[in-house]
Amino acid sequence: MNRRRFLTFAAGGAASATLASTVSCLQPFLKKPATVSTRQDIPTTCEMCVNKCSIIAVVENGKIQKLNPNPESPRSRGMVCARGNAGLQQVYDPSRLKKPLIRAGARGEGKWKTASWDEAWNFAGEKLTKVKEKYGPQASVWSSTESFAETFFKSLGLAFGSPNVERHPTLCLASVNLAYSLTFGTMPSFDLANARYVIMSGANRLESFIMPDTVDLIGSTTERKTRLVYLDPRFTVTASKADEWFPIKPGTDLAFVLAMLNVIIGENRHDKEFVAGYTAGFDKLAEHVKAFTPEWAETETEIHAKDITRIAREFADAAPRAVYYAGRRSSWYREDFQFRRAQAILNAVVGNWDRQGGMAPNAKIALGEFLFLPWDDPQAARVDDMDKNFPLAAKGDGAYLKMRENILAGIPYPVKAWMVHKQDPMNALPEQAKTIRMIEQMDFVGVIDVQMSDTAWYADVVFPESTYLERQDPVEMLPGIVPVVVYRQPAIPPLHDTKPTLEIVQGLAKRLGLSQYFDYTIDQWIDAQVKVLPLDTPLEYLKHHGVWAPPDGAKFGATLTQDHRFVTKSGKIELYSERLQEAGYDPMPVYHTPMQPPAGSFRLILGRRAYFTQANTTNNPWLNTFAPENVLWIHPASAAQVGIEDGQLVDVSSSVGALHLKARVTQEIRPDCVFTMHGYGKRSKWQRLVAGNGASDAEIIETAWDKVSGGGAFHETFVKVRKA
Amino acid sequence: MAKKPRRFAIVIDSKKCINCKACNVACRAQNNVPLAHSRNWMNEETRGTFPKLLAAFEPEQCHHCEHPACVRVCPTGASYQRPDGIVAINDSDCVGCRYCVIACPYDARFFREDRGVVEKCDLCARRIDRGEVPACVETCPGKVRTFGDSNDANGQVAQLLATRQYRVKKAEAGTGPQLYYLL
Repeated sequence: MNRRRFLTFAAGGAASATLASTVSCLQPFLKKPATVSTRQDIPTTCEMCVNKCSIIAVVENGKIQKLNPNPESPRSRGMVCARGNAGLQQVYDPSRLKKPLIRAGARGEGKWKTASWDEAWNFAGEKLTKVKEKYGPQASVWSSTESFAETFFKSLGLAFGSPNVERHPTLCLASVNLAYSLTFGTMPSFDLANARYVIMSGANRLESFIMPDTVDLIGSTTERKTRLVYLDPRFTVTASKADEWFPIKPGTDLAFVLAMLNVIIGENRHDKEFVAGYTAGFDKLAEHVKAFTPEWAETETEIHAKDITRIAREFADAAPRAVYYAGRRSSWYREDFQFRRAQAILNAVVGNWDRQGGMAPNAKIALGEFLFLPWDDPQAARVDDMDKNFPLAAKGDGAYLKMRENILAGIPYPVKAWMVHKQDPMNALPEQAKTIRMIEQMDFVGVIDVQMSDTAWYADVVFPESTYLERQDPVEMLPGIVPVVVYRQPAIPPLHDTKPTLEIVQGLAKRLGLSQYFDYTIDQWIDAQVKVLPLDTPLEYLKHHGVWAPPDGAKFGATLTQDHRFVTKSGKIELYSERLQEAGYDPMPVYHTPMQPPAGSFRLILGRRAYFTQANTTNNPWLNTFAPENVLWIHPASAAQVGIEDGQLVDVSSSVGALHLKARVTQEIRPDCVFTMHGYGKRSKWQRLVAGNGASDAEIIETAWDKVSGGGAFHETFVKVRKA
Repeated sequence: MAKKPRRFAIVIDSKKCINCKACNVACRAQNNVPLAHSRNWMNEETRGTFPKLLAAFEPEQCHHCEHPACVRVCPTGASYQRPDGIVAINDSDCVGCRYCVIACPYDARFFREDRGVVEKCDLCARRIDRGEVPACVETCPGKVRTFGDSNDANGQVAQLLATRQYRVKKAEAGTGPQLYYLL
């Protein structure tokens, strides 16, 4: 591959130059003359979380000094969060992966020998070939998570002949995506910048994840007088900023939504014109929700009937500028899909679809595609047998927990190789002991990552990827109310013996006899992607700006024409779903009272802080300082009941494991719940700040999944808490 | 009328603060602040009894006072005030006596063991001199801080101070703090 050219332009281009001249009067006060000659401002794209904000890397004397927000991106709203700012530490982390490693001791023992790339590729190639010869290509799983270069890794798995590409959604947002898709034919965005009434169930948008919606919601709630109603068993930052916070009984949100529907339809407050024109099944829905009165919901949710009634009325009055916000990580309960679908239905009947301040189908920008040699589709059925287990779910993403169950049981066939691309299933999956068992029965485990994750710690070979500030990636289009095209270019050359994903994949492909499918360069790939953009020199534009958005901005209402066909069976928004009914599920959401923890036990609920949203930044020193270890939140009454005090070490146990955490006795949680943060108690000693510090929630969360989407159900675990 | 000199100030709208720590990390990156210290920090408070709870967050840093006590006590002149109001420290003149650390009513200064000098927020003077805004101001998701010249009547800072109610912390210390907290 050609050496990459770095883009050089002084001090941020023309805009900064103009600004600089306006402060020339300050020059006399400088101790030294400004030395800007070595400074390069390189626009690129963040990878510290999945939001892909546009950033400008300030490089001085070959070192990245600072990551600034790129004000040109309508997507990232001119901000960089704590995690984005801490990206520097990923690059300059002394304990990051610097060379390929081959395991030298037992799995998980942490003994490694450094290897050349050829040695590592040869080793992995031989192991994968052996598995293929002995068990067939389907005996491998290819796990990846959302990243720009994920496509190359997935392609290698498919070209290898494995149907088992296992992506992250079933650990995250599968249920919400599927619920909206089966209702509207797509997963929309929510226009929080213009909404005037927002209801959120647990979607802790001001704390768990800093994204455009966070910025919009801050403005909405403080400047635009938007009313925010927030339901969460825990007092979060979002709860503190909400107009009303209801510590709802966990698992009963569906009852709240059904009661809202009962009030809105019962009082004829729905958008009749919209319902008649664009939806199917309203009469059945109206009949269905009659039983779900606010008084009934009060007994389920512990929210007063009069509040539910009032909120339902206010919501309908504020429509179409009213949204029941969907949120992202929806892996909560076995019944999660139906709860998300009820939200979608509620949004539909108040007519907020494709309206400013409501929901909008995501606009897109077409990118070109590089035409590579296609491979034969894998022959075998998936190991998680999506067709049988989750017939309506997104097949290409798989169902992580069902996959693990089947692999451990050896059905329908043995799986003996696991390739992991930048995921950490050891922490992302519940019941860690099962994940370790799954690893132990593998003939080969290979990991591509930038740091020694717990999964890498148990691998046979670890391929070090260059960090996002050291590599070029495929161009990515981010759909949204205002879609953007973002570009990631290297700010500095790789500091260590690392490679970008495409080169790692190509090296492996060569050893697997699959080179013909990866016979291209990243530059050729990108050229094909960007040449269709309506720009004279698209790549040059992206190198200078890092981001491109079409000039027309937000548009609403394109789908509100009588001949528009929604991508559903009826072509309408489906309040009643025949597809669900045919697949054997409830065609409209039916409520089942959730199990409650037995006396002396508590429901373990999860949640995130944005600086650690996934498990991969707890070892970042600039972020770790905010929470060096995780603690167990417990209400004072509950703490007294089990005889523990604030700061005391406690034993937290479920049916699948036990761990030790310090108690944080706090008013900020319901008495029937306990809470802890994710990403601690790492096994990998290379994660020195969190190795053995705190504990991993993955060790005690029980395995359960949503029936329809196959998404994890991580809030179904009851734990006992006692003095350690 | 002669143009007034610039007088930099920050107006803080704490209502918009979500305690996300972006300002803290941006400052650390911009100014190479060692982990043991911070040039800016969050005041956090949670009060009440479940389920009637209240939480407040409020960022703070050097107040760049009009009459800085730290400058008055500095025996070497290392601490000084620029004509634009920025209170800064000249490293090479600092002897590490830490009188200023004690004198500051806001506890905004710290002694940096590795370099033997006192440090604090300098409003990212290097950035300002390049025509940029301080790192904490720029990076913030909620744009909690508004930075600018309070002597510019048409500027955002002067406009906010003219139209909104605000308070300053420890006004009684008499140092003329230039961090304004909107009510």
